[in-house]
Amino acid sequence: MNDPNDDKIRKLLKQSIHPASQEFERDLWPQMLRRLEERSTGVPWFDWALLALAAVCLFLVPDTIPLLLYHL
Amino acid sequence: MNTHPYLRAYMAGIVFPTLVLLVVLTAFCIARFVYQVPVPIERVIIFPMALVPSLFGVWNMFYLWLRPHPHLPIGFHGALLPFVMVPVGIALAGRLGLVTVGSSGLMCLDQHIVPYQYVALAFTIGVIIYYLAWKYLVGFFNQVLGIA
Repeated sequence: MNDPNDDKIRKLLKQSIHPASQEFERDLWPQMLRRLEERSTGVPWFDWALLALAAVCLFLVPDTIPLLLYHL
Repeated sequence: MNTHPYLRAYMAGIVFPTLVLLVVLTAFCIARFVYQVPVPIERVIIFPMALVPSLFGVWNMFYLWLRPHPHLPIGFHGALLPFVMVPVGIALAGRLGLVTVGSSGLMCLDQHIVPYQYVALAFTIGVIIYYLAWKYLVGFFNQVLGIA
């Protein structure tokens, strides 16, 4: 048998909490694609600095080039 | 259905060194046959041709295996590879008589001494190049083959 208090609580809960919508209000896929694109295109400055450092070292000390070629 | 992820990881791993091999082989051939640099090309090319691409592939398979566990980002994972590869390369070069360990540096082909500070610098540059190559190139090939 249902307690009258339970019915009252159920009624109050239904009043205060709106039912969840069955469908998303908008398409989330374009937003997801945009975020993926943002993530894949950005090269951080630190990586550019590392590349520049490696290039300068190779230019200043060309004796290191054969050693590098051997290990690539 | 078995999608063979480790086979794809191996394939994604060997693309970059296989492409670089063409450049390396061309450089060795030009040095040997155009500029007459006395390089025993058949012995020098063994390591870059036979072992480096395979090590890249196996290292990428290792990365895939580590994925479910706590693991480093792919760039740092690749930057660790020279710590395995350089000792193997120097040991093989020593066995083939290409390099002798001297007191002041590495004696290459009994003709040219590379001081140890240059060796250390080359190693550092190698770690940087490996970090960037793994982060951007191997990472890209992993994405293309659907294992990123």
